[in-house]
This record gives sequence, structure tokens and C-alpha cells, in this order.
Amino acid sequence: MKKTTLCLLALQFLMFPILNAQSAQPDFMRSIGKIYVVVAVIVAVFLGLVLFLIYLDKRLTKLENQINQHD
Amino acid sequence: MVKHWWKALGVLLVIYTLTVGMLIPLRPGITAVSPSSVRTGEQITIQVAGYNSNFKKAQDSIRAWLKLDNERAIAAQSISVKDDQSVSLIFDIPEYLPVDQRVQDMTLVIDNDADGASLLPSAVFVTQDSIDPEMGQQVWKNADISNLNDKKGITFPFRNILGETIRNTYFHVSLWLAMVSIFIISFANSINYLRDPLPIYDYKAKAYTRSGLLLGILGLLTGAIWAKNTWGQYWSWDVKQNMTAVSLLIYMAYFILRSSLTDSEQKARIAAVYNIFAFVALIPLIYVIPRLTDSLHPGAGGNITFGSQDLDNTMRMVFYPAIIGWFLISVWISKLQYRMDIIHARIWNLDDED
Repeated sequence: MKKTTLCLLALQFLMFPILNAQSAQPDFMRSIGKIYVVVAVIVAVFLGLVLFLIYLDKRLTKLENQINQHD
Repeated sequence: MVKHWWKALGVLLVIYTLTVGMLIPLRPGITAVSPSSVRTGEQITIQVAGYNSNFKKAQDSIRAWLKLDNERAIAAQSISVKDDQSVSLIFDIPEYLPVDQRVQDMTLVIDNDADGASLLPSAVFVTQDSIDPEMGQQVWKNADISNLNDKKGITFPFRNILGETIRNTYFHVSLWLAMVSIFIISFANSINYLRDPLPIYDYKAKAYTRSGLLLGILGLLTGAIWAKNTWGQYWSWDVKQNMTAVSLLIYMAYFILRSSLTDSEQKARIAAVYNIFAFVALIPLIYVIPRLTDSLHPGAGGNITFGSQDLDNTMRMVFYPAIIGWFLISVWISKLQYRMDIIHARIWNLDDED
């Protein structure tokens, strides 16, 4: 759980400077009718789902360990 | 395999959203004109930048007007096309305008048979040196805007500041609608728990709340990225952004509340009551309060929603499947979570028997 929170925080701090750097030269994020904004949004949704998968994976591992201890 | 059809449907709808939502082109539009301010009695040359336009290809059929209102317009004196995306227009602005305002805005309309008609509202501001509406009536040479062409083929609408980001309707707006649907399921399970305290209702309420929160956080994040490139900042302290952040914090407190209680029955009961209150607070916070004050966000006060003119039938063709797709995926994610809770409960019950 703690690691997931850390991951989320890390993502925020990693992503925002990257996006900031891109919009500092207004030509990239705003070029070709701002299509890269749509790309960034889709990537954000995908990363969010992946982070959630990692969280589910950890919960499942915990459950598996409990079952193993039980046997 | 048969009973998993809805998972496959969810995945297919999201794939459909991604492909069709990205591949359908935008309608041709006008992104910029320069200069945008002129004086009366001048002959001006306006450079027009088009988007997705075919000025060169449809050179012979191109026509342009500056529209004052629904009845009155001036036709362009001459039109010279540079390439598909740029054209320069020459207009004779009359000595007087038939209006009594010092500064009058005019809408630019360009029509050709490949792109159909595209317009830019308030493209040019005309400053009158002296105001005389009657003289303006006399010298006005009206041009009829008629026989406008239609754009052939399927396109999404072009909006000036939005541009291609109008596609975010499928990746941002739809997430919120899916989130509200998921919270409704969570709310219903909490009510069910209070009527009949079976642990399964508590597991379901918890799982759906977590998925709803995931969708909400993604909605806020994608909204911030979109806002950065249209409103200028990730977070504008806009009422819609603030209120959604508050309602998500209320839902986060649901999990803090759960982890602070140890007795599992007490935990489930208090959490169910809290969840009902959280849902009752959600609707006014995200849908009512933003409508009562001014907001940058569409669908709030002083700003119409993506209604008839922005969300046209082509967009609905992708928007509604997108909502259903994100919703089904979230239901799937929720199911995985509460199935784990059921297994967890089984293990501990076995321990009790030992």
C-alpha cells in the first residue's frame, strides 16, 4: 500500500515536469491542433489503470501468502 | 465463457472508442486571422489560417464574407489562395457601419465545395471613426450568404480553442459519467447492507467505491492536462475543479474511516452510512454548485454544456459507447476486488474453525 502511494507520487513528480517542459515551447503540445494533449490524456488513463493493476497484484500476492501459511 | 460476454463487450467498446475516436477527422475550420482589427473606410487584406482545409484544391469555388448579423454581410473583393491552409482576402470596409457601436465585431465565413462553410466568430473588430447608422444604411452594399456547401463525409466538429482536444470528450468526460454510475452501484450496495447486513454487500460497496475513486482521480488528472492546454493552467481554482476535488476527498475519507475501525461489523455498518452521505454530497458538489456560479468548465454557470452545437450526432456515436465501455471495465475491476475479499473472508473463517 505504501509503495503504491509512493508510485503515485513519483508519477506525479515525474510527469508534470515533462509535460511542463513540453509546453514551455508552446509548439509541441499545441501543434497539429493540440493532438498531443489527447495523447497525454490517453497515456494518463492507461498509466492509471496499470497502477491499479499493480495494486491488485500486491493484494493478491498477500492473499496467496496467507493461503500458503494456512496449508 | 458465455457469462463473461460483458467483459469482452467492455474491451471492444474501449477499442472502438480509441480507434474511431482518434481516426475520424475534424471538420475544416479557421484557426486565426491577421490583422483582426480594422478601421472604417479602409481596404484591408486579411490573412486566414485554415485547419484541415482544402483552399488550394477547391480554389475555384471559394467564397468569403464578413458577417455583421444574420441579414447583413460584406463579400470579399478578391481572394488569393496560397496553399491549402492559407488564403488572403481583401475587403472594402465602408465609411460608415449601420450600427451605433464604436467597435463592431464581424464573423468571417469561408465557403468552398470541398470543406463546406467554416466560420470564425468575432474574427475582425471594426472601429468606426464616426458613428452614423443612417449613413451606414445608405452606403451598405449587402451581399447574400447563400448556397453554402456541406462538408461531405463523417467529421467531428471544429471548435477554435479546442481543436483536436475535442476528442477528450471520450477520454475525460466519459470517465466522469462512468464514475457516477459506479458510485450509484456502490450507494445501492450500502443501502442493501443496512437493510440486510450480509458481508457481500459491504465487499461490493467497498470495491465499487474504490473503482469509482480510480475513475475520479483519472478524471481530475486528465482534466488538468486538458486545462493546461486550453485554459492555460493545470489547476485554475475553478469551481468545478475545486468541488470535484472536495467530493473525491470525501470518498478518500471513506477508506480512512474503514481503516480506523477494527470491529468488522461495526466497520461495515458505519462505512455504509458514510457512503450514503458521500453519494448524497457528490451530486450537488459536482453537478449543482458549479452551475450556480461562473466557471470555465462547460456545463457550468456562464458556460453552456457540450450541447447541441458541440456534441453532434457523430460525437454521440463514439461518446455513448465510450461511457458504457469505461463503465464495464470498471465493473470488471470492482468484481476482481470483491472476489478477493470473499476469498480473504473464507481463509479467516477457516482459521476460526481450527
